[in-house]
Amino acid sequence: MLTPDRMGAVFERLSREICFVVDAEWRIRWLDERAKRVLHLDEGASLREACAPGGAEKLDRLSTTARSPEGCKDPWEVVVVIDGAPRVLALHAAMLEDGSLAVLGSTVPEAYAQALSQVSTTLSEMTSLHRESDRQQRELLRRHEELVRVHRDLDESTRGVVALHAELGDKDSSLRRANEVKTRLVANVSHELRTPINSILGLTKLLLERSDGELNSEQEKQLGFVKQSAESLNALVDDMLELSRVEAGRILLRTAKFPLPGLVASMRGMLKPLAASPNVDLIFEQAPNIELEQDEAKISQVLRNLVANALKFTERGSVRVTATAEGDHVVLSVADTGIGIPLPEQDRIFDEFYQVDSPVQKRVKGTGLGLTLSRRLADRLGGSLTVESREGIGSTFRFRIPIVHPEAREMHELERRSDEAPAGLAPILVVEDDRQTLFLYEKYLRGAGFNVVPARTVDDARAALRKINPAAIVLDVMLDGETSWQFLRDLKNNPETREIPTLVVTVTTSGEAMARALGADEFHLKPLDREWLVLKLRALARLGAVERVLVIDDDQVSRYLVRKHLEGLPYEVLEAAAGLEGVRLARERRPNVIFLDFVLPEMSAFDVLDELKKDPATRNIPVIIHTSKDLAVEERRRLEAEASAIVHKQSLSREVAIGRIREALEKAGIHGRHGGKE
Amino acid sequence: MARDYLRAQLAGDRREAVRLIEEALAAGTSVRELHLSVIEPAQREVGRLWQENAISVAGEHLATSISQLVLARLYPHLPRSAGNGRRAVVACIEGEHHELGARMGADFLEMEGFDVRFLGANVPRESLVALVVETSPDVVGLSVAMTFNIPELEATVEAIRAALDPAPTILVGGHVVEESPEIADRLGLCILGSNAEHLVVRCKEKLGC
Repeated sequence: MLTPDRMGAVFERLSREICFVVDAEWRIRWLDERAKRVLHLDEGASLREACAPGGAEKLDRLSTTARSPEGCKDPWEVVVVIDGAPRVLALHAAMLEDGSLAVLGSTVPEAYAQALSQVSTTLSEMTSLHRESDRQQRELLRRHEELVRVHRDLDESTRGVVALHAELGDKDSSLRRANEVKTRLVANVSHELRTPINSILGLTKLLLERSDGELNSEQEKQLGFVKQSAESLNALVDDMLELSRVEAGRILLRTAKFPLPGLVASMRGMLKPLAASPNVDLIFEQAPNIELEQDEAKISQVLRNLVANALKFTERGSVRVTATAEGDHVVLSVADTGIGIPLPEQDRIFDEFYQVDSPVQKRVKGTGLGLTLSRRLADRLGGSLTVESREGIGSTFRFRIPIVHPEAREMHELERRSDEAPAGLAPILVVEDDRQTLFLYEKYLRGAGFNVVPARTVDDARAALRKINPAAIVLDVMLDGETSWQFLRDLKNNPETREIPTLVVTVTTSGEAMARALGADEFHLKPLDREWLVLKLRALARLGAVERVLVIDDDQVSRYLVRKHLEGLPYEVLEAAAGLEGVRLARERRPNVIFLDFVLPEMSAFDVLDELKKDPATRNIPVIIHTSKDLAVEERRRLEAEASAIVHKQSLSREVAIGRIREALEKAGIHGRHGGKE
Repeated sequence: MARDYLRAQLAGDRREAVRLIEEALAAGTSVRELHLSVIEPAQREVGRLWQENAISVAGEHLATSISQLVLARLYPHLPRSAGNGRRAVVACIEGEHHELGARMGADFLEMEGFDVRFLGANVPRESLVALVVETSPDVVGLSVAMTFNIPELEATVEAIRAALDPAPTILVGGHVVEESPEIADRLGLCILGSNAEHLVVRCKEKLGC
């Protein structure tokens, strides 16, 4: 049942409004329960003092308004600090009879207040974020600019370095050009000088021989001086020429094997006459017994120079030549007890025309090129020339060279690789005198399925052709033109070799007509072009049957079996049913290997072997004895000596056939090469 | 101009407010002048109007948020001097929501070449101290508008001084120092003045730059 009392209680509970009465100073005189709860104030407390900054003034304005005739219409918002936190109150006020104010206040709902403050906080945070991102963007921009600047700096310095490089390159090539010009000039001038010097020497000799009448002693003395001067001029020109040749890289090495003791012995014989002074002993110590593969003449030249030098600067004591082995090198040292070389000068004595300033130096003659030349030659021999010296005690020159010249070693390597090339690689005979070019050929052809058999002279090539049957020949006509053309002529006139495709390589186009006329199958201008070379050789090379196998057997089935076993392999199989026919075929067709049946009707296997050994053309062809007979001890012993292998017919298979042929060819290759050199 | 801006603010017309500012900017009015002659007086007027009971708390919030937006718009256009190598941290202390003045001060410091980190309103004391330790600034500007936040100001200053030795120069600004300037003396602080321009002058005085 609705009663005003009960409704009043409900409204009381729902109401958010507070009621209180204040005096003119906003001191609370009375307040209801809700006001007590909200404001946390009691009677007597001052609302003015509880206000946030600006609030007190606002309360005063509210009093004035409430006391005015119009009274208070709109609510006044005042911030009151309650328990340290601001709270907004909207106040209405009316004047009571006693002059105090009745105030009705309402609080903005807590949730609204909080939402409002949240919104404002969010806004603040967002603007802060905006600010921060802007700041970071500026920082990025600054870093970017810095990077751009650094980049520009780097770019500039890179350009500087590049420019510097180019400049150095220019300087380098112009220096090289200048040096080349100098070398050429020296060579030309030297040649031009030689002719008149020879004339002077010749004429002086004639005069000294009194061929145009008697000379008085003064004239003879003068002519002696002329001769002496011309001779030293001649020595100078010789040295300069030699040096210019070394510098132009035009010194051809002629490496050969020779024993070291032999070299030392011949040096002793040659140089003894130079040791004219009784106060100086020229001693050659016993050299170790080593075989060198080097350019003997060049080594002699350097040694001669060193010994002559040592003798020049040694007034008493000895000049001692010692040879010692140091691993794969040999050190030839020339030690003297001469004047020695001051330390600062020790490096410079190898410079052109450099001479140590000393009284002795002034007395002895010299071109000033001897040591320069010696050092260059030592370099060319793959070694070095150094000096150790103490003033007043003596000097020791150490001339250190490899026992086998690197180029010779590389050649051996190339030959070894060629020998050990797996079967199936087509052998290409390359006739080329320059080692480096040979290596180039090997590099180009190895990967393409060819095996380079090197020949550095036409003689080597002829020897190689006696041993192998190449799939093609590459002939370089630079090496002594006429000899090469003759080789080509012979190659194409010989029915044995006529069919081998031959590719001629030259440096001038003028050779082409000649090459074609002599029967060359292809012609190419240097420089070598790998693609072209491989393409042509693939087309030309007789890749089908690179090895010829001769089977001498009266039994048709045995012959058939060998042929069958070798079918599909790069072998050409020749057949002979009898011994005589076999020997004839061997001579005519030069097989790479012969299968010989031990039991033949007219002629024994031993007879066939004897026949083959008689003829140099067939002597080196390896023979595999192919037999079904159990051999007697004596027979076996003899066959083992004369044939490459013995194969029982019952054990023949494809693998055995190929294996034996390969072994036989390898053996023959090694044997043949040794034979060729001897 | 200031009156038009205030009118747009009170009407809640943020587009108009932004348009007015951008127009002035395009016409060559400096950012500094817009700060000092338009936004600052308008904000003071908003405060006065509330005091006069002419606008409500909600109206005040609305007007202020429009100024926030405008300041954010102006921020990228600040004419920045070359960096002076000094770092500053500007923040309103915990419980203090009146951040506009602090923001303007921060902008002015930036224009002078300070490297400024502005942390905004109501920054929890711990975060504020941590950031000060992290950036080790030459100067810390704290803004306090309401007197009831004075105890928090004291606690914050104490915390900063305890965390950093030597402590940075701490400046205090905002309505509270206009109300009770003695607070600065009591805390051994420097008053940074009543507006952004004063802040800059004080900062430069204190740092000798």
